[in-house]
Amino acid sequence: MKFGIFFELSVPRPFTKAGEYRVYTDALEQCRVADEVGFDHVWAVEHHFLEEYSHCSAPEVFLTAVAAQTRRIRVGHGAVVCVPEMNNPIRVAERAAALDLVSGGRLELGTARSSTWTELGGFGADPDQTKATWDEFIRVIPRFWTEEAVEWRGGCLSMPERNVLPKPLQVPHPPLWVTVTSPGTELDAAERGLGCLGVSAVSYAEQERRTAEYHRRIQSCEPVSSVVNDQVHTQNYLFCHEDAAVAARVGLAMVARFNTLNAHLYWTREAYPTWAYHALGNIGQALRQASGDDPSAAKGLPEGVGIGDPDHLVRVIERWDSMGVAGINFVLDTAGAIPHEMVLDSLRLFAREVMPRFRTREQLAAPVEAPTRLPDGVRGPSGFAVVR
Amino acid sequence: MLAGTADVAALAAGAATVVAWPSEPVTLTDTRTFHLVAELRRPAREALLPPGLSPTEPAALSIQAWKVAGSPWGPFTLVVTRLSCRSGVRARGMATAAVCSSATAAAALAAGWGYPCRVGAARLDVRYDGCTVTVTEGDQVRLAIEAVHPRPLGPDDVQYTATMTLAHTPQGLRLVQVEAEPCNERVERLEARIERFDAPAWGDARLDPYHVVAATLGTGTITIAPVRYVCRPDVDAFAGTERVA
Repeated sequence: MKFGIFFELSVPRPFTKAGEYRVYTDALEQCRVADEVGFDHVWAVEHHFLEEYSHCSAPEVFLTAVAAQTRRIRVGHGAVVCVPEMNNPIRVAERAAALDLVSGGRLELGTARSSTWTELGGFGADPDQTKATWDEFIRVIPRFWTEEAVEWRGGCLSMPERNVLPKPLQVPHPPLWVTVTSPGTELDAAERGLGCLGVSAVSYAEQERRTAEYHRRIQSCEPVSSVVNDQVHTQNYLFCHEDAAVAARVGLAMVARFNTLNAHLYWTREAYPTWAYHALGNIGQALRQASGDDPSAAKGLPEGVGIGDPDHLVRVIERWDSMGVAGINFVLDTAGAIPHEMVLDSLRLFAREVMPRFRTREQLAAPVEAPTRLPDGVRGPSGFAVVR
Repeated sequence: MLAGTADVAALAAGAATVVAWPSEPVTLTDTRTFHLVAELRRPAREALLPPGLSPTEPAALSIQAWKVAGSPWGPFTLVVTRLSCRSGVRARGMATAAVCSSATAAAALAAGWGYPCRVGAARLDVRYDGCTVTVTEGDQVRLAIEAVHPRPLGPDDVQYTATMTLAHTPQGLRLVQVEAEPCNERVERLEARIERFDAPAWGDARLDPYHVVAATLGTGTITIAPVRYVCRPDVDAFAGTERVA
């Protein structure tokens, strides 16, 4: 089981320059602590114009700072919006390769197509086309990374032969992921040999069904490159505290704030009717109240949420682990619902009391496993200067 | 989290009066439902909503026209303008004004569901290659929309949000959650242009639908359910939602 942290970089109102700066600097410190205590991934989203919910429009910049300030943790650039009005696929390949070099081969690249009218409309993108452009991006980017001369005649990109530079450090290239909100997108990932990066909360039963179907389908995938990333990661919230009642009170306030801000987004389907956007799945809508013998029920917590005392979190993660989920990426705070120092304490407590139940000391000391490798003769992240 | 800042008392001046809650759903048959969404500029974002509702970003106005052949009140055409908003975590559209071609239907929609209905010449004229929505009151053209180039969508591809009307109700001044759900057999998306929009007539001079996003035309039925929930307009829906007995 891998553990990651996941940033929307949400900023509470009223907006001030100091407030936005604090969100970025706090997040960087949380990344440094997560790296020190053994987390495996840090993910930063790409969103545009989403006031309060996410001020993370240039994740490659944030993640470059993360890479420079950490040693072991892998940097998840995800998800890059694969819509040409927002990102040219050549530039995505270039930026990602540079980030892979700067991080010492620690890049994971997530791909997505945006869900809100606020974003798509702001860039003048056609919602009908985003699935097709995403499919084109994920096929051409691995070629840019691995081939010296690529000529491409596609639907959203047409170019004469060029050598896209630099090439990423990882061999053959950084792992690719697809963010999954709508049911069925996990199958798009499986069919292409891409990792399934869940960004919506679903019930245990639904996650078990999706994970099993993903693993079944990926056995017969037609991969978009020579790397098959067959991992399923999910998104969750994290607030760990010795006192279960405190954990519930503080953690659920974060969940409520996240859900409300998420529900207030202006979803594409609401503004622009299209066959291309059917479900409005998101992490908030699918939370289920725990029932029966689920230990969350007695604590008044939704099913499967990473909020509670350490013993409770061990049981929750064991349940996710049992159904083939390979990693969990945690939202640590939303728009200042949890003070920064409490976030750091939560990270440290989780690492001290929960992580060892899933990893050995040797595993924690080794580089994070990935379906790629570093080239011969390259020492990897520790070969780079780390700023503290 | 953004919330509306409009003065509730001022909004109440134009509110309808619900005398008694309907106990049965009403089905409208042989209907055409035109639905247009346009973005508004920022001054209209939270200023036109009561504190009980939150605006979307960007602010948006939906203009909905129903052309109804069969109803308990006879045939009618209704045009309603709605501000896109959130009630708690639910997507909604708050009615700012409505014009109905039938006095009987206007009275029923106001008395049962709180629609802020006036009687006027509301029309939805459908052609093979498009449609036109017009509203006139006296010699004043309040609204003119031209929509062309229909392109088929699946019936489930269009999402209608419930309407919130502000009305004097047996519970007091409340936002009424109107669940009027079109059930379409056929839907087309069109390219639309607003040729005339008389903002004060639709509730406020700051309503400025300057950027049309999309429009659809559906064919089917509409069911208006009995009201289940109302909300206080002065506090958010988490605190102010009440079930209608």
